Amino acid sequence: MKKTDIIKNGLITDNPTLVQLIGMCPTLAVTTSAINGLAMGLATTVVLIGSNIVVSLIKKIIPDEIRIPSFIVVIATFVTLIGMILKAYFPDLDKTLGIFIPLIVVNCLILGRAEAFASKNKVSDSAIDGLAMGLGFAIALTVLGMIRELFGAGSIFGIDIFGANYQPALILILPPGAFFVLGLLIAGIEGLRNRKEAKLIEQEKAKEAKVE
Amino acid sequence: MKIAKLGLILFAITVVAAGILGFANEKTAVLIEKVNEDANNESRQQVLPEADEFKELESNKLKEIQTSNPEVLDIYEGIKGGEVIGYTIKTGTNGYGGIVEVITGINKEEKIIEGVRLGNNNETPGLGALATEESFYGQYDKKPSEELEVVKSAPGETDILAITGATITSKAVTSGVNLASEVFAELDK
Repeated sequence: MKKTDIIKNGLITDNPTLVQLIGMCPTLAVTTSAINGLAMGLATTVVLIGSNIVVSLIKKIIPDEIRIPSFIVVIATFVTLIGMILKAYFPDLDKTLGIFIPLIVVNCLILGRAEAFASKNKVSDSAIDGLAMGLGFAIALTVLGMIRELFGAGSIFGIDIFGANYQPALILILPPGAFFVLGLLIAGIEGLRNRKEAKLIEQEKAKEAKVE
Repeated sequence: MKIAKLGLILFAITVVAAGILGFANEKTAVLIEKVNEDANNESRQQVLPEADEFKELESNKLKEIQTSNPEVLDIYEGIKGGEVIGYTIKTGTNGYGGIVEVITGINKEEKIIEGVRLGNNNETPGLGALATEESFYGQYDKKPSEELEVVKSAPGETDILAITGATITSKAVTSGVNLASEVFAELDK
């Protein structure tokens, strides 16, 4: 597979959050603000790259029947390791990211990529896939967080936008708001895609008409 | 036979993983302990700024308090020039998302609350988590060490203004502070 295709897949065509709809638990739970979404996205990206590389390296020695538990062991090891390193050497970063790290273990995006990509592809491609999928996830979460924070708290990345008189729509920060905004985002992306496809079909029809 | 072989391979993988984690734990455990200790010391210093050092309360005294108030997590004496000038009391009361840790610093002589900080908690970001901002916890500063009440508007001398949409969290923090005041009254007898 071409490297540019892998990147495009992760970011747009197969965006984990908006197209594949995997990794929903962290998506819905942590996107109450833009910074939370970004932090969770980046932490996930790091774990995803690491676990993709390791899974790709050991794919030959793992029998098919026990691949899922093996992947989970690899992922859990990575997450715990990163948690420890953050706590010991980067306490400030740990304060911001700390609560998200254990959540990454249960993010099915990581297991999903190990199963669907890393266990079948080269190490270098797997690393790129991890990076692209991770960034696709991070971007989606950040956008979601920005929208929820903007209307739910009147700010973006903690910077006041609407001023003190704005009465925030608290529901957007509460759990139901996550579903509302995610639904609208997915609908928007699907709408764009449908329009693009419709255009392509029209162009083809026009071509056929000319030939005739 | 096959299942034994599979089990063995899985076992080998977990052994390697455990080995890596064990090694990492060995390297980081001491550092993590120190970071936590520093953070705790820092929050103690914040709620009782006048103290030069902090000493844990004698363990049998603490146990005695904890049997009647299980929500008390730890108590430190704030010491300045060899004398106890106040206490920092950490409590864990029930909030919206589980236990909310509150550290309260109480001045022994003036019997006032010097400061309040939140420790670990799982309150809703953007709502209950606003309690970790100064606009909320600053309200407790210099309040008398007695029963405080949560109100939704026009706070008086011993009232705390609730965070909009997060009354439960506001009450949880306040009940932690009130508990600290009760414990302080007992200690000060």
